[in-house]
Amino acid sequence: MNVRSQVSMVFHLDKCIGCHTCSIACKNIWTDRKGTDYMWWNNVETKPGTGFPTRWEDQDKYKGGWEKKNGSINLKSTDKKRIVLNIFHNPHMPSMDDYYEPWTYDYQNLFTAKEGPDQPTALPVSKITGEQINVESGPNWDDDLGGSPIYAANDPNLDGLTQDQKDQLQAIERLVFFYFPRICNHCLNPACVASCPSGALYKRGEDGIVLIDQKKCRAWRSCVSACPYKKTYFNWFTGKSEKCILCFPRVETGQAPACFHTCVGRIRYLGVLLYDADRIEEVANLPDEELIEGHRSLILDPHDPEVIKAAKKNGIPDSVVASAQKSPIYKFVIEWRIALPPHIEYRTMPMLYYVPPMSPVMAVRQGETIEHVSDNLFHDIEDARIPMKFLANLFGGGHEAKVAYALRKQKAVRWYRRAVTVGDVTMEIAKEMLNQADCTVEEAEEIYRLTSLCTFEERFVIPPSHREEAIEMTQDPHERRQSTGFGFLSGPRRGL
Amino acid sequence: MIGIENKFNKSTQVKRYRDIKFLVGALMVLGAFPLVASAQETAAYFKQNCYSCHTIGGGRLVGPDLKDVSNRKDRDWLVRFILNPQAMIDRGDPYAKQILEEARGVVMPPVAGLSRDRADQILDFIEVESALEKSQFEGMKFSDRPFTPADVALGHALFTGREKFKKGGPPCISCHTVRGLTLLGGGRLGVDLTKVSERIGGRKPLSAWLVSPATVTMQPVFRNNPLDAEEILPLVAYFEDAAKQSGDDDSVAPLAFFLMGLAGMVLVLGLFDVIWKNRFRGVRRPLVAGGEMRTSI
Repeated sequence: MNVRSQVSMVFHLDKCIGCHTCSIACKNIWTDRKGTDYMWWNNVETKPGTGFPTRWEDQDKYKGGWEKKNGSINLKSTDKKRIVLNIFHNPHMPSMDDYYEPWTYDYQNLFTAKEGPDQPTALPVSKITGEQINVESGPNWDDDLGGSPIYAANDPNLDGLTQDQKDQLQAIERLVFFYFPRICNHCLNPACVASCPSGALYKRGEDGIVLIDQKKCRAWRSCVSACPYKKTYFNWFTGKSEKCILCFPRVETGQAPACFHTCVGRIRYLGVLLYDADRIEEVANLPDEELIEGHRSLILDPHDPEVIKAAKKNGIPDSVVASAQKSPIYKFVIEWRIALPPHIEYRTMPMLYYVPPMSPVMAVRQGETIEHVSDNLFHDIEDARIPMKFLANLFGGGHEAKVAYALRKQKAVRWYRRAVTVGDVTMEIAKEMLNQADCTVEEAEEIYRLTSLCTFEERFVIPPSHREEAIEMTQDPHERRQSTGFGFLSGPRRGL
Repeated sequence: MIGIENKFNKSTQVKRYRDIKFLVGALMVLGAFPLVASAQETAAYFKQNCYSCHTIGGGRLVGPDLKDVSNRKDRDWLVRFILNPQAMIDRGDPYAKQILEEARGVVMPPVAGLSRDRADQILDFIEVESALEKSQFEGMKFSDRPFTPADVALGHALFTGREKFKKGGPPCISCHTVRGLTLLGGGRLGVDLTKVSERIGGRKPLSAWLVSPATVTMQPVFRNNPLDAEEILPLVAYFEDAAKQSGDDDSVAPLAFFLMGLAGMVLVLGLFDVIWKNRFRGVRRPLVAGGEMRTSI
């Protein structure tokens, strides 16, 4: 057992209202520099929709993630032979058009325009060329099903749905969608790290955050095509790739990352997980249907004395183990099993989990009225407006069982709370539902509490980073203290 | 012996390594017995190496008639000239220069397998032959019927290899070019043969040269598969025609070469485009344009 710690996340999609506050918070802190205008380390997508960049889930085109071949997993975009042959031309990257050409508006024109018969307008100007452009798409072009005959209709997750299910998704009367906020998943088996010819990407040992060394990056852009979630971006101005850093300067000082902190719907949870690094390869090689269970089996029980002992042996501080014991993520993923990894079939072992969203049951037309309430309390999860298959494509690797389990449990908790607070359902029925959803009353109360009444401290259990000790790995702290002044290589200077 | 080794200069073909092995073997055998060349052997050598440019009593071809050559200069001078004509010319020897002028600037090529002894033997042999009333090397007889367009066409075919040499020699085009041949021209390893009939001095010397080409490069190639008499005539016809057809100016060739390169590049790029027809070309634009991915839900 090789115990490591990983800062992990849960996004509770049932609570997301699609306000994009997280995206804006992130953009304002990290990606408002030249060359990063088009990057959205955090973005919120409407599902069904093609997302950002367009159809990023289409790995036939973008070749992201791992594929199982000849008994072991290989990068879909590059293997050793292909990377040598294509070292100067990486053919599977999204083009600027698949992201979007970032633009601003020529506001100055509002003040300097010559007098004319009409009001002056601020025309869109490309942030790359500085020329006026016709805006054709943006990072949220299909937000709230905008342009859905094209974008929503081409969601790769619609594969395998029956025509009936597709029709149902689209019918105006029953129009349904949900939001899918995305950041870097800080995977356990990151394809981006594996693909980098320069070794610029690495996964931090102490908290599992995946970072790109800006001094080592040589602009090969292998990570851009290798990441199946398209969460590494190439900065065309600096010639280096960049990605979500999980606000590590904030995490290291005990603050939640900006997108977590600002989340209006409070959908985001963050906490540390302990996992067994020795078994990652074995699990990443499992057959598709066993991946979710295998992924869960990597995560170790922080209360298990054996695990604690092994963690200590690996140099994980007691404070981090204590933090792992309070982790909301452990509850969502392991105890309650209602949070699922996105697209586990890419085999990168993402460490960001999603609680799948509930949706209204299918409406039934009865003469002139549309009947929305189903009598079948126990089984209408299968009749939800968002087809189970669609959610399974997103969160179940194509298999519905785990998604149905998560939805059924969520629904049971709702009905249980309804029996408690409203009383229009009898407690017997509610308890029977809990029973069928593999849930106890205590668990239901806990889920309810962490979903609805959670405080800041309950949502974000940030492990102490012990930065004060970090320097000991490479330098004698006393010598460092005595020999470090303001510095003459990169000392403080006026100006930029 | 050094002269024999000299024959294997850098431009030899791989095939000739077999000859090297054979010759090394032969040298070892020869080294065991003192070399006394018989008159027959010398005659064969003369035929192989000298006869394509020289006659004995038959008048000049490319090189001068060698009848009574011993009377023109002393033995020592002749031997030195035979061994290295270019050096004599470079040194400014007046008679060597005169020879050069008479040969219209064609320098006698270094002869394969030549040594001081061999040169002596040849000169002895020439003296003997000169004394005869009619030397066996008075000159080859070539048909002097006027060339027909069919001859020129056949010569062109032989030159380019469209018509194979009967004895299996390689076509001229593999090493030589003639202006206006094709767009790319022929090989550049050998000299440009456009003006060869003028340079060598007409039909007869050229025909004689083609019977057994005597340069170090050509001799090993054609020694075992010489040209046929019926092939020499069309070739000479073709060379004369080529000299007549071509102007003095050669400035078109680089442009043609450049244009060929350009066309080739366009062709190759087009080929790449076809081979990688299904390459990644972006996702969003074809999607919006209603390309192959569009489905309706």
